[in-house]
Amino acid sequence: MDVDVKAKLSGIVGKANFSDDPAQLEAYSIDQSYYPAGMPNYIVKPANSEEVSEVIKFCSENSIPVVPCSSKIHFFGATIPKEGGVLMDLTRMDKIFEIDADNRRVRFETGVTWEKLTTELEKEGFRVIMPLAAMAERSVLTDFMEREEPTNQVYDYGEPLEAMEVVWPTGEIFRMGSASVNGYPDSMSKGGNPSGPGLDFYRFFQCAQGTMGVVTWTNLKIESIPKIDKVLFAPLDDLNYGIDFLYRIMPRRIGQEVLLLNNVDLAALLTENWDEDYEKLCATLPPWTLVLVVSGLLRRPEEKIAYEMKFLDHVIKHEFPSLRLGENLPGFPGVRKKMLPILRKPWPANKTYWKNGIKGASQSLLFHARPMNAEQYISVVENIAAQYGIQIHDIGVYIQPLEHNRACRIEITFFYDPENEAEKSVVRALYNDAAKILLSEGAIFTRPYGDLAPIVYDKAASYAAALKRLKKTFDPNNIMNPGNLCF
Amino acid sequence: MAISKEVYKVFESIVGDYYVSNDPVICESYRSGPGGYENGTGYERVMTTIPGCVIMPRTTEEVQKIVKVCYKNDIPYVPYSTGFYGPKSHPHVEDALLIDLKRMNDFYLDEKHYYVEVGPGMIYSPIQEEAMRHGAYVVIGGGGAQASAIANLIGDGWSPLSHRIGLPHRRILGTELVLPDGELLKLGSLANSDDPFWGECPGPDLRGILRGYTGVRGCLGIVTRMAIKTLPFQPERLQPTGISPNTVLAFPEKRVKWINYVVPSKEAQVKAMYEIGKAEIGGAVTKVPLFWRSIAKAEDKEHFWEMWGKENEKTVANFFIVRVLLIGYTSEEQLEYDEAVLADIMSEVGGEARPTKPSDESWIKNADSAGMWLMCGDYVSVDYVIETLSQATEHGPTYAELKKKYTPPLMPDYGDPGWFQSFELGHQGYSEFLIYWDHDDDTDPVDQFYLDTSIMNINHRFYTSLLGPHQPMYLTGPQYGPNYHEYFLKVKDEFDPKWMSHPPVPLAHDVLIERSPWLKKMKYWETPDDLPK
Repeated sequence: MDVDVKAKLSGIVGKANFSDDPAQLEAYSIDQSYYPAGMPNYIVKPANSEEVSEVIKFCSENSIPVVPCSSKIHFFGATIPKEGGVLMDLTRMDKIFEIDADNRRVRFETGVTWEKLTTELEKEGFRVIMPLAAMAERSVLTDFMEREEPTNQVYDYGEPLEAMEVVWPTGEIFRMGSASVNGYPDSMSKGGNPSGPGLDFYRFFQCAQGTMGVVTWTNLKIESIPKIDKVLFAPLDDLNYGIDFLYRIMPRRIGQEVLLLNNVDLAALLTENWDEDYEKLCATLPPWTLVLVVSGLLRRPEEKIAYEMKFLDHVIKHEFPSLRLGENLPGFPGVRKKMLPILRKPWPANKTYWKNGIKGASQSLLFHARPMNAEQYISVVENIAAQYGIQIHDIGVYIQPLEHNRACRIEITFFYDPENEAEKSVVRALYNDAAKILLSEGAIFTRPYGDLAPIVYDKAASYAAALKRLKKTFDPNNIMNPGNLCF
Repeated sequence: MAISKEVYKVFESIVGDYYVSNDPVICESYRSGPGGYENGTGYERVMTTIPGCVIMPRTTEEVQKIVKVCYKNDIPYVPYSTGFYGPKSHPHVEDALLIDLKRMNDFYLDEKHYYVEVGPGMIYSPIQEEAMRHGAYVVIGGGGAQASAIANLIGDGWSPLSHRIGLPHRRILGTELVLPDGELLKLGSLANSDDPFWGECPGPDLRGILRGYTGVRGCLGIVTRMAIKTLPFQPERLQPTGISPNTVLAFPEKRVKWINYVVPSKEAQVKAMYEIGKAEIGGAVTKVPLFWRSIAKAEDKEHFWEMWGKENEKTVANFFIVRVLLIGYTSEEQLEYDEAVLADIMSEVGGEARPTKPSDESWIKNADSAGMWLMCGDYVSVDYVIETLSQATEHGPTYAELKKKYTPPLMPDYGDPGWFQSFELGHQGYSEFLIYWDHDDDTDPVDQFYLDTSIMNINHRFYTSLLGPHQPMYLTGPQYGPNYHEYFLKVKDEFDPKWMSHPPVPLAHDVLIERSPWLKKMKYWETPDDLPK
């Protein structure tokens, strides 16, 4: 049996793109999280959808687990094989098929990285609205499938994903949305609509961690690069004062990128030299900083900035007189030049990842909340962390306002030394405790990775039951990334 | 099988005897009837019947109990809110239970977090009024402000305001869905909390079974509660003005403004829409067909025909208007900026502004479908497209060409290729094609045109609304995805193994073809022998 598997898989992807070498297998057995290693039995690197399809079909027929992996940068253990099987490395599928300037759309494969996509788009005057400091070598498609929220929240329509192609757990290739027309892309339909046909199948793949099949390519909205940008900062002692300000301005469509960072996270983002800068920055930055980018677009850019600034000035003068919003963060003269690349460019591959510079590793707890409740949730974490001997000034907090600040995503980051098993255990226990208590107090967890999955699905039992029914219809042998979510 | 006395008593015990009835007079009042959408079509004649019993629950728990009784006793049932969607909202099999959801009209508005929470009996009109009183707005679809907001959100849900707001799927937040077997599925943040403010579900998102491109007409359960995202509007009041029926919303002129531009060609129309999208301005951007202008100016139907009768293929083909709604979301200065950018764009494409009334008659509040579309007595929006502007602007002429073959009985419209507009700031394009006919004419060609349109879409590789339960699934299924019908039916079989929820949807059009000789003669595709009866 084992020989047949090897022969079959290497026959599909070619010998050069197959491996069962233990050293190579080991490299895929871990990620950047603290979750325990899990070895695959084989590695395949398909070149296209057809090879993905053949591999999955073979595995489905033989009940062999398949773990899709779009890049080598993963933070939550989702690509660590739980039951062995075939690790499907999708990094060879890195083609950008087309940039459609008229419809502001790009179509590209799963293995396309942030570095590659942003570089190619910039040549054409376009950009993707990006999550904060997206890593250069990480898959763009995966970030959007995992619902990473962009820092830019001015667009009313939200989700940038458009029509895509998947391979179901039984191996059939299936195009969704308006890419589903016969003969696509040689068709009148360009792939601008993700929805349908029949059902919104694309929703089943969101935050699925590869358990529902493999997304092979997608269409994605792109936007024009602004002509002028004005990066503004406001130091805040009182988080709620800043949040109230966002409740006031964001519904009025002010700003492109908008976010709130505590001193730990902002220091980590700004640090160039970890030995010298970080501690000093962390100690001197204000407890909170609001970052707001006001941009002039393709037409009449100065006038656009002028009306937004006039509105901001009026609101601050009459309603938020204590807010010091300006182009510099007092005491940090270089911050203005540094911030825009952090927001608009991928985090460079050759630079220590900002969350890992502090202690070498980190684990982020992500959840959604009403912004007015953010401070309460942060206090909850602060209290739990204290019980574990970790102080708030050792925890990173990033608040991403969403949808005109009608909601926010709170990202709490715990830092640890990956070589220190005791510290790792403490952070893992703290993480799980915090999640349980936050969940009980109304925090919304939509990306239940690793330890979070049983915590979240225990509370969402009926939802989990329905998910299992759906999963069974598409993956009767449960071959796709088993051991994740509630599967 | 008729609903037994024993089961009827169980229904009474659930909702009280006042809210359940099998009185033939009451049941007859739920017949798909005159004046409605798709009235008189073969679908109505062949596929609809009156219910065997009508029940009006008040709560989600009551809906669950009713559905469980139905499932246990093999009673087919049909969820029904406002019934706007014509014959497709009505029972298709004998002795079905019609679950009328109008009593489920709870309403809650969260001003600060931009959502409303409603039951399926809540219609758009009061939602928009309350939303606008609190600085927000919603999209009221062409179905009109009297349509159930939930039914519209899981069915269609767009209008010219979608230029900025976009797809309706993204405004569905915390939702309760009673599955076909009576189990309750809570979606979005309701999955693990009591707060409906957020739409995403934990892990894979089961909002995917609520709808596809268009709705699934209740065949995968009954939505009993939904939080719907609203969007921030400008802060000044739009004042209702005029005497009914000639009412409008008067604009605060420095904050809201419609401007009509005459442009020299279709290419200029399309170019203007792309540029407006790229400039990220405007609250609505749409083509105005000549037909609309006649409707808007007509005092009555005779007046309409007097005006429309003077048009011809040349006047229709050479009428190019782009209508733009500007909204000063930020301030008066923002509206001035938008207007200046718009003027730049129009100057580049050769557009000239025309005097435009400082008011809205349709899209913001009224969405007056009933008065606007009944020029011949019967009508249907035969197809609509949400794709890119590349497709949306090209498919109209193909419909117009096909339509010639079916005119009459379809209304002569001089080759009108329908209308199109920008969606999601020009990332997408929308187009729609409506047909009109006289109720007393032979409507078989209307049905044939509908089916032929679906076939044309396949041949031209268009992505349109005639998918899922809106045309034969065994016709469209193999051509899209491919084989999307197989995956859809897998989900249907899993969640409704007895096919009790609005049978035979999603295969109702497949059944229609088999029962209708004038359609069956057009059939060239295969259908399984075990279609639901």
